[in-house]
Amino acid sequence: MTASRSSGHTHQPSDGSNAVSLERRWSRFWFAPAEVGPLAMIRIGTAAVALLSWWSYGPDLQAWFGPDGMISPAVLEAWRSPYGVSLFDAATTAASLWALYAAGAAVLACLLVGLGTPLAAVMAAIFFASLLHRGPMLAGSADDCLVVMLWCLAVGRSGDAISLDALLRRRLGREEPGPSVRNRLSLSLLRVHASWIAAAAVLSQIKGDVWWDGTAAWWLIAAREQPPRSLASAMLASEYFTNALTHAALLFEIVFAAGVWVAPLRGPLVAVGLVAWPAIGWLAGEPAWGAAMAVMGLAWAPPGWFARLSGRSTS
Amino acid sequence: MPPAPDNRRDATGGEAEPRLPGETFRGLVSVAICFYFLGFLLTVAANSGSGSSALLRTVKTRLFSPWMVPAWLDIGFDHRLSYGLPDDADHRISVQPFAGGESVRLPEPGIVGLRAARWRRLAGWLEPEAVDPDSQGLLATAIAAGLFERLDSDDLMIESQRVVMPEMAAARAAGGLDEATLERAFAARVRSVGGSVQMLPVEEQRDVAPVLPQADVPGETTR
Repeated sequence: MTASRSSGHTHQPSDGSNAVSLERRWSRFWFAPAEVGPLAMIRIGTAAVALLSWWSYGPDLQAWFGPDGMISPAVLEAWRSPYGVSLFDAATTAASLWALYAAGAAVLACLLVGLGTPLAAVMAAIFFASLLHRGPMLAGSADDCLVVMLWCLAVGRSGDAISLDALLRRRLGREEPGPSVRNRLSLSLLRVHASWIAAAAVLSQIKGDVWWDGTAAWWLIAAREQPPRSLASAMLASEYFTNALTHAALLFEIVFAAGVWVAPLRGPLVAVGLVAWPAIGWLAGEPAWGAAMAVMGLAWAPPGWFARLSGRSTS
Repeated sequence: MPPAPDNRRDATGGEAEPRLPGETFRGLVSVAICFYFLGFLLTVAANSGSGSSALLRTVKTRLFSPWMVPAWLDIGFDHRLSYGLPDDADHRISVQPFAGGESVRLPEPGIVGLRAARWRRLAGWLEPEAVDPDSQGLLATAIAAGLFERLDSDDLMIESQRVVMPEMAAARAAGGLDEATLERAFAARVRSVGGSVQMLPVEEQRDVAPVLPQADVPGETTR
């Protein structure tokens, strides 16, 4: 991206027309410079969940993707979209597969600690998408969310705070970076995705009868090979409890998808989301998905939450 | 990327208008954002479990898939969690020599968390309705072939087993949710013959009408 010649212009006050008001809101939402605090927290959370996901491939890496692995090139050809491509396609020996896998860990670790963050963020997104394309049938809902989050992080400057990059910058006596348009773009992309992913989940769920008759929570745990027995007992003891869990999960998703667009509701929704998303994920047997959604929801956190992390006033 | 000066505060200390980048930059980025989210909407619409219209599918495939698929963004986020259907249940793979002997269960006992979830997902794709029969057969063959050496046999039976989900009333009558009962979702015999791997699906036994002895059918005689 290049610098615009009119960069730094102060936005003119609205003339009162709807079009101007809309343009003003749009510009503020996407382009008002933002502090790095929330993005830095999302970077750490995303990298941590992505590392867990990365680790889950390790013990079976050769069994799945190795030269004599189960997900052979022939299987992949039948399974993958013609546009699908993966760095792992080039890893045709056991050694090269391990090397690429280890490189992915290094990139994700760099993102976690914020070392060489601008490059690490882009490489992490490419690596993770490649890993999923190597075995599309192994990917789950958490992976889908993680990829989106990694691409969004690649847009911003998430390494400007709580990072080794920031530490090095201070040691070298360089100037503290201020609010950035890139941070705003990254945060806003994450915001829209968080809301729409929640909405897409709701749309999908309400097509099933079990979300209407209040039994979805039961089916979620009855589907598990090792169900949480105490929760199962509680559900069996009271059908109302099962109904309440089902309706609460769906209601939260609906309220989150729509409510985050209403400023006064953001703080409470993000705070509730830090518990509710992991709880829904745990109930559904997808804890990583719940964790990823909770982290993504942080993009909607009110600016004051992370003001101290940025060490400056927030936008 | 344009420089991004601090937001300014007005004389009363209230929040002033933020200093925004130039109009050209904003215009170009806005177009890119709108284009991307149009693609995002189409992926949600076209990857729905309810199917999609030919128009949306074509637009998405031609305009957006070539760059959204490589980035793993052509997803749809169709996270239904559960419809209470059999294919929502946990699956596992069981493989053993056709002639009998030690079997392998995947995920192996003791494996939990994300790693186990990936194996279960793999097993779920062996459900007959999950994908087209060719892809399903290819996957079953590849999984079994990957275990020839480990099981020291080149003639294996592979099964995808799923948890039987009890109704609440049944579970209540049974006094709780006990050990999961598994049923066979898919089975096939996979063998290597002269270096070529073959898969022979095992058909499920279906309910059929009772066969009447020929002598019992009016007007028929036994030979």
